[in-house]
Amino acid sequence: MKKPLAGIINISTNNILSIKRALEFIGFNTVLINEHVPIEKFDLIVLPGVGAFNEAMNTLNRKNLLKTIDQALNKNKKFLGICLGMQLLFQESNEFIKTKGIGFFNGNVENFKSFPIYKKTFIGWNKVNFSKKFFKNAEQYYLLQNKAYYFVHSFFVNCTNKNIEFGNSVNGRLTYASVVKKDNVTAFQFHPEKSGKHGLNLLKTIANNI
Amino acid sequence: MIKRIIARLDIKNNFLVKGMNLEGLRILGYPELFSKKYFDEGIDEIIFQDVVASLYKRNQLSHLTSKISENVFVPITVGGGIRNIKDIKEILVSGADRVSINTGAIHNKNFVEEAVKIFGASTICISIETLKINDSYKIYTDSGRTEINKDTFDWIKEVQDLGVGEIILTSINNEGTGRGFDINLYEKASKISSIPLLAHGGTKTPDNVYEVFSKANVDGVIIASAFHFNYYKELLDKKEIPLTGSTNFLKDKNTHSLSFKIKKLKEYLRLKNIEIR
Repeated sequence: MKKPLAGIINISTNNILSIKRALEFIGFNTVLINEHVPIEKFDLIVLPGVGAFNEAMNTLNRKNLLKTIDQALNKNKKFLGICLGMQLLFQESNEFIKTKGIGFFNGNVENFKSFPIYKKTFIGWNKVNFSKKFFKNAEQYYLLQNKAYYFVHSFFVNCTNKNIEFGNSVNGRLTYASVVKKDNVTAFQFHPEKSGKHGLNLLKTIANNI
Repeated sequence: MIKRIIARLDIKNNFLVKGMNLEGLRILGYPELFSKKYFDEGIDEIIFQDVVASLYKRNQLSHLTSKISENVFVPITVGGGIRNIKDIKEILVSGADRVSINTGAIHNKNFVEEAVKIFGASTICISIETLKINDSYKIYTDSGRTEINKDTFDWIKEVQDLGVGEIILTSINNEGTGRGFDINLYEKASKISSIPLLAHGGTKTPDNVYEVFSKANVDGVIIASAFHFNYYKELLDKKEIPLTGSTNFLKDKNTHSLSFKIKKLKEYLRLKNIEIR
């Protein structure tokens, strides 16, 4: 059987290798997308990201990758955003300077600093409370629901449309969306590629839905 | 907050080694076998440290990092001989999530500040090796070989001000001895640190780990010998690693408990109400 092909949008962030390795581990072939390319041949487009919002948007602009992303989002291509790659799909962020995002999801990216929370930068494992409808079957839900996944972030999305929120997490007294989904597009605030076996299983459930 | 259980692999010439008080290194086998095993058993994170890199002013870990990250899907921290931005880039591109810096930070604080700006706080971790002499804790570099005339707690405050994301604090006195953590050290250090603090040095029993979690506000523990000696036996039985050097230490039941497994440790901590993955 031919392996499905994942295109990973490369915005030159720290460790693009992790997501590439994880996708290959669960049975994908992978290609790094460094400039705008036709998306037809891909079964999945991944937008990973670690770093600053405005710099990432600048890079996407400069490399004409916004066009690639736009096509994937609107042509019903399976799409996965991870960490900053999730935040970029929202409308606006105030990280360093006010920057417009891709705007596929409604809501803005906000700083933990403005909330009464324990850690201003969250590095470590945290539970994700998935809604049942995220999974195709109960078996997947019970396997992956309320498990710990690996997070590294100081910003989070203030998701104004509760219909797209498919999972949340808690930092101090703040509950925020850690999983969003609309049609063909899924995004995680945490790193499934660094979240041990549950993370790999979660990636697999998305892959299986292709 | 979920506490982290971290395995540390000391590397010399591409082999996993382990000593006592950061000295007297023994070759235990191929690090990629141990790291894969630890991932399969549910470790939360893995740290690789080139123990002689800084001493010989070299850095050979990127090739190994690349090999290891093929099978390990939890965060990987790599340290040893990291002195400039290029070193960090090379290691991150090879598949590491974080780097840990010790000697390089002491010699050049500007470098650390610059690294935080470029790669983000969560990517830069400072490793501190401390030796208790009488009642003072002095810091050391080059894997416990060179004394720096600096107080450990002053240095913790200084590196926090540089904006780094995390601190690994190793007790040279307890490292590799299996006599438990230096609770006093971690109590004091956690009181002054506003960033995650990881305790390293002295684990022999699950109770040692429980003790440091319950008495000091540390975010994770780093365990080396206790895991290695345990799994060494298992990997050795399967003839997966070559016999190198003397293995008499395996028969020495007083040195390390041979029933210390990652899953069992986690079960134990959960029963004691420590939040664990």
